[in-house]
Amino acid sequence: MKKTIRKRHSLAVSTEYTQANFTWVLSLVLTGIFLWNSISFKTGDIHPFAFSLFGVWAATTCFQVYITRKMKKDLLQTGVIPPATRRLGYVQLVSLAAGNIFAGAFAFNLINAKKSVEYTFAAYTLLTQFTVLAISAVNLFKPYVSDTFLPSMGTLLLIGVFYLAVLILVVRHVQEYEAPRWMTWVALLLLASAVTGNLFALLLGWTLLMKTRSSDRSRMLKWNVMWEKITRNSTAMLGMFFILLMLAISITSRFTFDYALAVENNYSAILQPPSAAYPFGTDNFGRDVFSRIVFGARISLLVGFAATILPGVIGGFLGAIAGYYSNHVDNWIMRLLDILYSIPGILLAIAIIAAFGANTVNLIIALSVGAIPTYARTMRANVLMVSNYDFVDSAKALGESNFAILFKQVVPNSLAPMIVKSTLTIGGAVIATSSLSYLGLGVEPHIPEWGNILKVGSAYLETNSYLAIFPGLAIILLVLSFNFLGDGLRDALDPKLD
Amino acid sequence: MSRTVISLFERSYKKARGHTAYQVLLLLAGLPLHLFTYCSYIWNRKDRQYSSMLNAARVQLADEGRKEEWLEEYKDQLERKRKFFGENVSSADIHREAEKLADEKLTAESERLSEMQLTQMGRQKETYFTYFQSLLRNPAFLIVSLIPGFFMYVLLFLMSNPFILYITERLLQSIGVIIGVAVLVFTILYVSPFDPATNILGESATQEQIANFNRLHGLDLSYWQQLWNALKGIATFDLGSSFAGNENVAASISNKFPVTLTIALFSVIMAIVIAIPVGILSATRPNSFLDYSFMFVALIGLSIPNFWQGLIFILGFSIHLNWLPATYSPGHALSLIMPVVVLGTALTASIARMMRSSLLEIINEDYIITARAKGLAYGQVLWKHAVGNAMIPVITVIGLLFGGMLGGAAVTEKVFNIRGIGSYIVDKQFIPDIPAIMGGVVYVAITISLVNLVIDILYALLDPRIRSKIDHS
Repeated sequence: MKKTIRKRHSLAVSTEYTQANFTWVLSLVLTGIFLWNSISFKTGDIHPFAFSLFGVWAATTCFQVYITRKMKKDLLQTGVIPPATRRLGYVQLVSLAAGNIFAGAFAFNLINAKKSVEYTFAAYTLLTQFTVLAISAVNLFKPYVSDTFLPSMGTLLLIGVFYLAVLILVVRHVQEYEAPRWMTWVALLLLASAVTGNLFALLLGWTLLMKTRSSDRSRMLKWNVMWEKITRNSTAMLGMFFILLMLAISITSRFTFDYALAVENNYSAILQPPSAAYPFGTDNFGRDVFSRIVFGARISLLVGFAATILPGVIGGFLGAIAGYYSNHVDNWIMRLLDILYSIPGILLAIAIIAAFGANTVNLIIALSVGAIPTYARTMRANVLMVSNYDFVDSAKALGESNFAILFKQVVPNSLAPMIVKSTLTIGGAVIATSSLSYLGLGVEPHIPEWGNILKVGSAYLETNSYLAIFPGLAIILLVLSFNFLGDGLRDALDPKLD
Repeated sequence: MSRTVISLFERSYKKARGHTAYQVLLLLAGLPLHLFTYCSYIWNRKDRQYSSMLNAARVQLADEGRKEEWLEEYKDQLERKRKFFGENVSSADIHREAEKLADEKLTAESERLSEMQLTQMGRQKETYFTYFQSLLRNPAFLIVSLIPGFFMYVLLFLMSNPFILYITERLLQSIGVIIGVAVLVFTILYVSPFDPATNILGESATQEQIANFNRLHGLDLSYWQQLWNALKGIATFDLGSSFAGNENVAASISNKFPVTLTIALFSVIMAIVIAIPVGILSATRPNSFLDYSFMFVALIGLSIPNFWQGLIFILGFSIHLNWLPATYSPGHALSLIMPVVVLGTALTASIARMMRSSLLEIINEDYIITARAKGLAYGQVLWKHAVGNAMIPVITVIGLLFGGMLGGAAVTEKVFNIRGIGSYIVDKQFIPDIPAIMGGVVYVAITISLVNLVIDILYALLDPRIRSKIDHS
């Protein structure tokens, strides 16, 4: 009796089993979508490409369901997942070839029973590199590619091979608290390779560097515990993966994509439906929507980050001052911010843009101004709480100046909720950017930006609906990723914060 | 009757003494009365005794040699502090510092002594405030002063009831915020580098035409005059005519506002009807498949831009299925469905998530466990004890998000071609038509402030925790 309870418990607490379930459900949903799209209901025709994609995804989904059931049986019988089941992960890795990232991520997770933070980072580094290569390789179907395409693809491929090697090295040589001395060089190479935008490599390199150089166990423990909480959360990792993938694509697209295809008119290819050369079709000027969406990621990320960091810093500063120097200063700052708070962000942005004109810089400023009060409130609440802690009193007793206490002791200790808050609201900034562009008030119309692409698409809703659907999906995916990551960070950093 | 009124005024006057802001307000409200009473206070101050008492106490303390005692004590303390921190401070500095501290102590101590003496004599230290308070006790004074001090008495009456005081304060705060909003929006539009006259009349306009345009719209006045006109216009619902088209701005806004408000209200109702049961279902089965699916869908709902959702709805329900009209027409109920759903999606998702987390937190509170331990049925505990309390933060969120919704309505209105306030502001900003933008934004902000005001007051009425906090303040 006791034993069965323990085994049931092991089923309930197994994060791998949870992820397995999550993966097959998600896979099934996407398979359904592919099936839906492969059949055109009006004529009864079947699109061969979409249908074959559906077939492959259906196979990987079935295999995923099989693995999940096997895991359940194993966990109920023995309480652990045996190596034989784990080896099925190698087979499931093949699904990456069909583009099933979810199954791929799960497979990496399943293969290794002892999942250190480094292993997860290494797996995701490789996964990101692989996806960047796959997306860039779509350009091969185009009539022409950019001049730097071949050398940069070669470089990316070499880096990818290096990441694979690192993954194997990490599995073989990295211990829980230490790594061999020579790993320093690997870590430095990883840090250098992060300039391609693959920030998982940066995280991995940093962790390895800490392990080889530092003997400070408590610091490592803190870092490990924080990242273990995040990496165990599969939706948060998926969100982080997509955000970093977009970042990597925005950087590498400079070399692997041809900007001319995204902005120059090509009247011989107007309003073409999706094909191998133009995966998302072309718009009313014959511009490749796929390239436009790839280049649009840059603006969305830039505006999103800028419109989060700027008000975060200003609002954080004001909130810290208000929370620390209470009463009069607090009252004045918060009452003034109440004024800003009572104007809806979008309307304030419209008023600012009406006054100063529509361009990217004004858009960032307009979105930032409206967001200041929220960050100030978050910061103030934290500073009020932290100011009552004992270490603040002891700093006062030691004769530190108020200013130094505030910015050296209080603010660093109230940053975690600010980080969570900004991850949760950055998605809103991305939506606001594209909304304003859609209204014609955001980024200048000739720049490829997701809202701009959608605005063009909305005119062809009836005939060429893909023009509106694909950029919208890109926005949703990015915003969803930020929300997933924000939820994960919140659980990891500050479980009490809502 | 009259006695209760008198004691009411006296009590609330006494209470106001603790707050500088109230004191100032009372002084301002009853300024003529206070001027008069202050003169009479100076005239027949019986209390010259106090200062002589203070002096006597000071001399007495100095005679006892207490000051030297304290001086030595402080010197010793400062010396020890210097040693502990290893600082280099000259003995002259230490002496000066100790002298200052001892002096302060002497003053405080003599004040304490003389006040003690006063209380022993059964009297209070007389200040203007105690003098005035004693006057308030006199019915004759009250009757005489009723007319010059009318505003002050009204204020005192308001202050006597903590609840009325709270509502008044909250109301004043809202008015302050609304004026602030108007000033801010006006200033943003005023500092704009664009020149409306050349924008609207075109590059070829003559100097005379431009001057005429500026005079017509009051643009040749100074900043303060223009600001005053704008504030006056907002308060009296007279915003003048728009720059282009010569339409009455206030009339256009009052035509368009109800449309937006209707859609927003329906969206809120839809959100509440859907989200609260969903949140309760999720919270009662945490981490189940149902919970995961609901929260996943809610997160997707939060991540969809309104305009994209609108376009997809038009594509699906109007173009492919031909069920619903693609654009809104007044009086056509079916054409309202899509805009309401689109506008309400994000709100529904937020409320559902909020309801779930709020209810989960409450379910784990001690009093719920106690209720369960007493043997109450789960359903009874949930509905009678948990859901009501979980609603409190949810209602705040609804109030806050309502504002965001009125702002976000601009996008939805553009997609469905609704002639509401949002699309009006967007259309006018292309000109840019300053009175129209200003009026639109400020009236939306006023509506939001009023909604939040009503919610706060409702709260104070309904939530015993907030009520007791107000009573004790």
